[in-house]
Amino acid sequence: MRKFVVAALLAAGVAALASAALGSTKSPARVSSAASAVVNCGSTRTIGVAAPITGPASFIGQQQLRWSKYYVKNWNAQKANRKQKIKIIQGDTQLGVDTAFAVRVAKSFASNSKVLGVVGPAGSQEVVASTSAYKGGKLAFVSGSASRTTLTDGHTDGNRRGYFYRVVPNDSIQAPTVANFITKKLKVKRVYIIDDQETYSQGLANGVQTRLKAKGVSVTRNSISQNDTDFSSVIAKIPNSTQIIYIPWQLAPQAQTFGQQLRGAGKGRIKLFGSDGLFAPGQWKITGSYDSFFPVNSADKVVKAYAKAHKGDGEYFGAPSYVATQVVVGAITKACKDGKATRAEVRKLVAKTKLKNSILGLPVSFKAGGDLKGGGFGIYQIQSNGSFKRIG
Amino acid sequence: MSSTLRQQLGNLAGLGVALVAFMFYAVYLSPTQGWTFFFQLSVNGIILGSLYGLIALGYTMVYGILKLLNFAHGDVYMIGAFIGFGVLTLLGGPLNPAIPVALLVVCMFVVAMVGSGFLGLAIERFAYRPLRDAPRIAPLISALGVAFFLENSALLLFGSKFRSYDGFDLISYNGIYLGGTNGVFVQYLGVIVIVGAVLLMLALLGLVRWTRLGKAMRAVSFDREGAAMMGIDPDRVIAATFFIGSALAGAAGVMFGLLFSQIYHLMGFLAGLKGFTAAVVGGIGSIPGAMLGGLLVGLIESWAKGYLSGNVSDLVVFGILIGVMLVRPSGLLGTPALQKV
Repeated sequence: MRKFVVAALLAAGVAALASAALGSTKSPARVSSAASAVVNCGSTRTIGVAAPITGPASFIGQQQLRWSKYYVKNWNAQKANRKQKIKIIQGDTQLGVDTAFAVRVAKSFASNSKVLGVVGPAGSQEVVASTSAYKGGKLAFVSGSASRTTLTDGHTDGNRRGYFYRVVPNDSIQAPTVANFITKKLKVKRVYIIDDQETYSQGLANGVQTRLKAKGVSVTRNSISQNDTDFSSVIAKIPNSTQIIYIPWQLAPQAQTFGQQLRGAGKGRIKLFGSDGLFAPGQWKITGSYDSFFPVNSADKVVKAYAKAHKGDGEYFGAPSYVATQVVVGAITKACKDGKATRAEVRKLVAKTKLKNSILGLPVSFKAGGDLKGGGFGIYQIQSNGSFKRIG
Repeated sequence: MSSTLRQQLGNLAGLGVALVAFMFYAVYLSPTQGWTFFFQLSVNGIILGSLYGLIALGYTMVYGILKLLNFAHGDVYMIGAFIGFGVLTLLGGPLNPAIPVALLVVCMFVVAMVGSGFLGLAIERFAYRPLRDAPRIAPLISALGVAFFLENSALLLFGSKFRSYDGFDLISYNGIYLGGTNGVFVQYLGVIVIVGAVLLMLALLGLVRWTRLGKAMRAVSFDREGAAMMGIDPDRVIAATFFIGSALAGAAGVMFGLLFSQIYHLMGFLAGLKGFTAAVVGGIGSIPGAMLGGLLVGLIESWAKGYLSGNVSDLVVFGILIGVMLVRPSGLLGTPALQKV
């Protein structure tokens, strides 16, 4: 009798799981109906935020999510919006583990007819992997950090024109900016480049290396991994005569550790030069180091208020996700003016975005390929109080 | 001389020959860097290896007594690092310590070791003890579950941000030069790590060899049922083993924080894997083997990064693990498993 009861309970459990699984299956038919659905905007409009909320890059993803939520919280709190609310559905892409997570998130957004637009994903490799899911769902997706140049050229990494947008300048601008600064302003002749083996890092390292070599600078190349914490052996290899170590990495705490170990090894005289991924005041604080970064206006009242609300940490790397959310919510709001909206409408309106001001310190609009118009990179130097001062 | 001892001595002799051969080959490979470079890498490797060795001790103790691969061990090490950081923060932080630095460091170690020890006890009590008589795969899966549980709990509790010990600021950026100012540089922090790891290993060896608890551990490891019939409470002995192994992981966590500064919720995964590798290479179940394995993994990693590239260091480390397993399946100082029939 007892065995029978257990078997019956098991069978019921399996049946319940199966029906739940069937109900949540992202079948092509379901994606297709969600893609073309006319959504009654009602009082709640839904956006998806795809970010690495857990996993090795959660440090980045949590920042992006917090900035997105910050925009939505402020938007929802405005009197003018008291009858309509924005709701965020989070998708954890686990950047650095497997791009399959990003694809899964994209599929779940695509099949959810309530989702009208997406902020993210964070990594360029995630953009490449999940494009077909977003395109299948006819969703616009706006990234606050994917900077690989070829994402928007329409052929190298696939064509996502009309779907993908980004609010950060691409790497084709960053590498020349860095190389020019090193050769023209710093006038150094011996540079050591260390990438972190990720696509982002290698792309930038290659770009800077090529340009430096073309200008007669002696360049030595090495690699670390994002999991590394012990750099002593790499540091032992760096010649004492090196003037600059270029580290286009994504984890600021790793750069901080590297800088401390460099000093501990008696080579603290050599200056470090980081990329946008390392722009994290308070996290990377090796005095005198240089960093290239897309513009975030730290004097903007929103940025100041965010920092105040987060124990003084501006989490600048996540700030473009605020703008990405602003773009998506803006398009949805316009599309919903008649009370109904489709994803196609939202995509068209994202493409036509024209923000006169933004926390990036520049207006936001997009080129046909989805790139930000007019974005550039600045060069900053870390001061003794840990702040980043723009110097170029 | 027993055949096992003969085999272990043979393994050590073979290892010594391989190391000496590599030393000449490495210096020949990198003539511009020379001996100083080789010894600098070796010192770096020994410091790193001491950490791996401490982690490996926990794996090896638990395996020795329960034949269980405690995959949650790396995450206990992570929690130990966070406990140490908590003490550091409570007592003023690295730049403004409220008590003398030496006392602060001792407090960090003691609290982290005790905290990690109790965590180990809890894991054993709730995740492994109920599965003591279950098929061997069950506690293995439970161990993986505990690992993920701890990682994600740490994410919820401490967030995804890296926390900085700033160990160099706390203790010193200075160190000692061996062989003149152009010689090998050893930071004071590195010395603390090596000395601390060796002392802890010796204490553990002493405990296992010369105390009643140690004898009970050996008895339970040899034959749990037999030990129980002789009046030993296996549950208490196993719990004590978990406490000690986890406390060592906690100490390693604090050492890691001091030496490499940054800690975060996923730091236990790779360190745990390396510690496990060290335990297996040294001969799982053997305490000196765990330390030897740790040093070996640290040295190989350091040499691979120095002479080849960071790209290939893990490839080399795990490649050598496969090689050792093929040639010496029971590890360098392990004893071949005998099956009771």
